[in-house]
Amino acid sequence: MVQYESIRVDRGERVVTVTLQRPEAGNRLTAQMAGEIEDLAQSVRGEEAVQVLVLRGAGGTFCAGEDVEEMAREREENLWLGPTGVATAALAALDQVLIAAIEGDCLGAGLDLALACDLRVAAEGALLGFPEVTWGALPEGGGTQRLPRIVGRGAALEMLLLGRPLEAQEAFQLGLVNRVVPIEGLEDALQELVDLLLTRAPLGLRYAKEAALRGSEMTLEQGLRLEGDLNFLLQTTEDRAEGVRAWIERRPPLFHGR
Amino acid sequence: MTLELPFETVLYEKAGPIATITLNRPRQINAVNTQMRDDLYQVFSAVRDDPEVRALLLRGAGERGFCAGADITEFGTAPSPVVARQVRWERDVWGLLLSLRKPIVAAIHGYALGAGLEIALYCDLRVASEEARFGLPEVTLGMLPAAGGSQTAPRTVKRGHALELVLRGDFFSAQDALRMGLVQRVVPREALLPTAQALAERLASLDPEAVAATKEAVYQGADLPLEQGLALEQRLAARLRRGRNRDA
Repeated sequence: MVQYESIRVDRGERVVTVTLQRPEAGNRLTAQMAGEIEDLAQSVRGEEAVQVLVLRGAGGTFCAGEDVEEMAREREENLWLGPTGVATAALAALDQVLIAAIEGDCLGAGLDLALACDLRVAAEGALLGFPEVTWGALPEGGGTQRLPRIVGRGAALEMLLLGRPLEAQEAFQLGLVNRVVPIEGLEDALQELVDLLLTRAPLGLRYAKEAALRGSEMTLEQGLRLEGDLNFLLQTTEDRAEGVRAWIERRPPLFHGR
Repeated sequence: MTLELPFETVLYEKAGPIATITLNRPRQINAVNTQMRDDLYQVFSAVRDDPEVRALLLRGAGERGFCAGADITEFGTAPSPVVARQVRWERDVWGLLLSLRKPIVAAIHGYALGAGLEIALYCDLRVASEEARFGLPEVTLGMLPAAGGSQTAPRTVKRGHALELVLRGDFFSAQDALRMGLVQRVVPREALLPTAQALAERLASLDPEAVAATKEAVYQGADLPLEQGLALEQRLAARLRRGRNRDA
């Protein structure tokens, strides 16, 4: 069992929760943390039983950005891919459904991480933003690419150019987060979402995510073809036969992920 | 003059420049079966080929809903996935709907689920009545959307919303749909058809070449890098100008 220092991993049978564990530093991302996220993601990637991964931060905050001293050191070493790029690429490569549970600060590298997830639930009082422009830098974890694809160009430009963070409610209105809940309601909201996802067919979830995300990067016609082919693949699965049977017999389906 | 053509599972009516297609299996909440796909292929072709038709209105028969999805009783009856795939692309009914150059309004009451919502997503504009309930529940059956929903949803609403509705697979309200931009209007039930009809009439009153060019610029352009999209728009605008000059 690998021991991580800057993240905490809670493994259920089908859900893995990753908690960024540097609350004294706002869970700021270091090269070590990014490496641990990458290592964890790679181990989760092969596990078919895991359907959902939840990403969150310890101490009531998600992630306030890259660690400042780290940033200075990494710049000097002139790395091609900084820690944020490493961590977000590792998460984005996962087939499982990724949920970001956002409290407190979700800024810079933190927002990069959240954007690499599929669904985002925020607590009231959370702040989401890209302050990089205020110190002459650029998001490095895919933010300039994922943000416009998620909130639309106008809102993305405003966030990136002004560097001003949004409050949770504003983020919700833009579609940047899927739900906003009171802080005390965050755990329940997360559980409700996770429980619901776990009742869905594992392969259906994976292929639906693949079709929606990869298909969005193709022409519509190519995307429709991808969707069609993934469907024909699913038609060969036991779970699909079970899904139809269960519907006809008016009972909850029992999926096995094959 | 009104033309009415009965097919087995759809009704096709033409009144002036407006064609109305009604999904007509109300006892099955207009569930889409193979016969309906065949009937739709014919009526979509009629809409495409009839020069008098300038706008299409799509609706569902009966009180319970627009369309509750694909007919589950037909699942598992295809000879094999290989054959099913071949048939799917040879007679691409949804591709035909997507390719129509004429403007399409969907009038949605009650349930728009699965294939029902996917059909509505191929339309240009969607009007819903207040009690309408939407969803892409395929993932609850071990499937994923099979009539374009995984592609049209993220291109119609924002990605986070699209992923949520595809992955959760549960139902959402007309108000949620409006908030997401999935529908353009939500009206009381009795106002649904008049509102959709008025929208279709407005569209039908516009220059059909201009409407077709607008659709093409928006849909094709969305798949292109901006620079190429702008060039496409220029070509379409020039073609329109040439056409107008010729007619003047």
